[in-house]
Amino acid sequence: MLMKFFATYRELTGCKELVIPAPPTAQALFDELIRRYGPAMQKKLFKSDGELSEDAILLVNGRHISHIAGLDTPLSEGDTVSLFPMVAGG
Amino acid sequence: MNGWKGKILRVDLEAGTIKKEALHMKDAHDYVGGRGLGSKYLVDEVDPAVDPLSPENKLIFMAGPLTGTAAASGGRYEVIAKAPLTGTIGAANSGGYFGPELKYAGYDGIIFEKASKKPVYLYINDGAVELRDAAGLWGKTVFEVTDTLQDECGESFKVACIGPPAENGCLFSGVMNDKHRAAGRGGMGTVMASKNLKAVAVRGTGSVTVARPEKFMDAIVDARAKLKAHPVGGTGLGALGTEVLVNIVNESGGLPTRNYRDGAYFDEADATGGETLAATYLVRNKGCFGCSICCGRVTKIPDGPYASVGEGPEYEAGWAYGADCGVSDLAAICKANFLCNEYGIDPITLGATIACAMELSEMGVIPESDIGFPLRFGDAKAIVDLTEMTCKDEGFGKTLKLGSYRLAEKYGHPELSMSVKKQEMPAYDGRALQGMGLEYATSNRGGCHVRGYLTSPEILGVPVKVDPLVTEGKPALLKLFQDLTALIDSLGVCLFTTFGLGLPELAAQYREAVGTDETDEEILFKGERIWNLEKQFNIAAGVEKDTLPPRLLTEKLPKGAAAGKVNQLGDMLGEYYDVRGWDKDGIPTADKIEALGI
Repeated sequence: MLMKFFATYRELTGCKELVIPAPPTAQALFDELIRRYGPAMQKKLFKSDGELSEDAILLVNGRHISHIAGLDTPLSEGDTVSLFPMVAGG
Repeated sequence: MNGWKGKILRVDLEAGTIKKEALHMKDAHDYVGGRGLGSKYLVDEVDPAVDPLSPENKLIFMAGPLTGTAAASGGRYEVIAKAPLTGTIGAANSGGYFGPELKYAGYDGIIFEKASKKPVYLYINDGAVELRDAAGLWGKTVFEVTDTLQDECGESFKVACIGPPAENGCLFSGVMNDKHRAAGRGGMGTVMASKNLKAVAVRGTGSVTVARPEKFMDAIVDARAKLKAHPVGGTGLGALGTEVLVNIVNESGGLPTRNYRDGAYFDEADATGGETLAATYLVRNKGCFGCSICCGRVTKIPDGPYASVGEGPEYEAGWAYGADCGVSDLAAICKANFLCNEYGIDPITLGATIACAMELSEMGVIPESDIGFPLRFGDAKAIVDLTEMTCKDEGFGKTLKLGSYRLAEKYGHPELSMSVKKQEMPAYDGRALQGMGLEYATSNRGGCHVRGYLTSPEILGVPVKVDPLVTEGKPALLKLFQDLTALIDSLGVCLFTTFGLGLPELAAQYREAVGTDETDEEILFKGERIWNLEKQFNIAAGVEKDTLPPRLLTEKLPKGAAAGKVNQLGDMLGEYYDVRGWDKDGIPTADKIEALGI
């Protein structure tokens, strides 16, 4: 699975992308990212009450997980997964 | 008088006379200021059928009641006229420092009438207002004019002016202020040039009073705190600028590529994104008057063929010269954008027009001899060269300066102009963002993203996340965004404040500034009134129907999250007219107009 990082997630991880084995779900992916990058990643991904932060936008093959199955969104080998903070412009 | 200054300047350029007249306060109440109030003056005083470049058109500068106050990002003003690019009502919004200075000089706005026989500029130093000779400024760039006038009048003067393309009939020339800030779209600068008006230089030493100072400060403190606490308004935009959108829109499968021909995923997008800009050419960020966001970019290309210093590019301009032209050379994109600022033209329209020329050239429709060299997508040097040719009115630039619709029509393929009502759509593909497609189709100034920015909910999840691929609910959501945006553009605050603020915070600042007890809903209602006023003008002007280029309606996206999609405009447009209270042809009903008090 191709894992892409953007904006502030690049600073946090020190890389643009990783090729990693596909975790079964988006939740499992977040768990893996927290394991790799520690409390800073935990703080960015989840609010103190455990809810997913607005500052964590996860796209699976271009689709926001909120339009698939949220944290239960299944992941597969061959997926491209992109992680963004809340960004804007125009 | 609170919020508003209660006075405007009316300048008869033919007679050379200047009158100071009282602001029409009922209209100020009903249409707020800025875009709304300027549009009201235009609708009342200009025949919608007028030739936009004739003396009968009027050019209106209008600030809002929050312009120049301590309101969050309260530094905006609007330039209004019938637009030469589109034939619609034209209203273009700009930041910087010019708007507040106009208020400090004592004026909410300026109405320019008729045309001068020779080049002039308007000098405003508080109560001293006069037309001055500008023969020596004609033909000069935006930067040269600004520097010259600040030398002549004083460094503290704020200058709004036009560049040579406006004088040469480029239909998408902007009014530039503070050098790099633009009332950019639709050709407001072209109208200014048609009146032989080169610049406005203003200095004000007054202030703007508000009705309920303590409550006003409470509202400001609340608004600024919320803006600062928001991930976007607080740190995101300042750190990475608007170009940070490139990657998220691309990864969502919505970044139009090669004149929308190759779908909406650009393989080389990352090389043009905000992350790359920050790591390479960004010198520092920069803010407008009263703004804590500071999204502006001061950028420098240190060496190579495009070595230069300037500002930007912003997301839309970066896309127009980048993905839309198939170019990933960020230095070339920056350079082309710098030229647009220096000469005062809209980089969205010019970049998209060059993209259209690239497609027509690859089809063999435009002879190489017309352009002067073989033109293909991905040619970084070409975007700079063609921009320079357009800026200097040379060679093929004489064709490009009319925009993509007239270019494509000249060569027999008007359907390949990616424009709505002859203005180029910006950087979101309406096949991947269904709501944005509806926005382009219904925008009162042609293809435009900042009349109802549904990208915010469709991609960014602000203020709520909605699915970009569905049509359900989009008409009502778009109406809300369009009405709210019309209000914001009229208040004199920056649209980016909505990345942190909503109607309650904006309405609170307005209430305490002008001293009204109207509810949030009553204040938002003014936005709907403004939208309908603009629509009425366009109908009377004979503007074409609300639709999209055939490519968006028939050519399926080839890949990405929206693969196989076209824009389903037919599923949304009728419902949009319904929620607006318009008839099936998109004309406001008599009942609606009466209810709005237009």
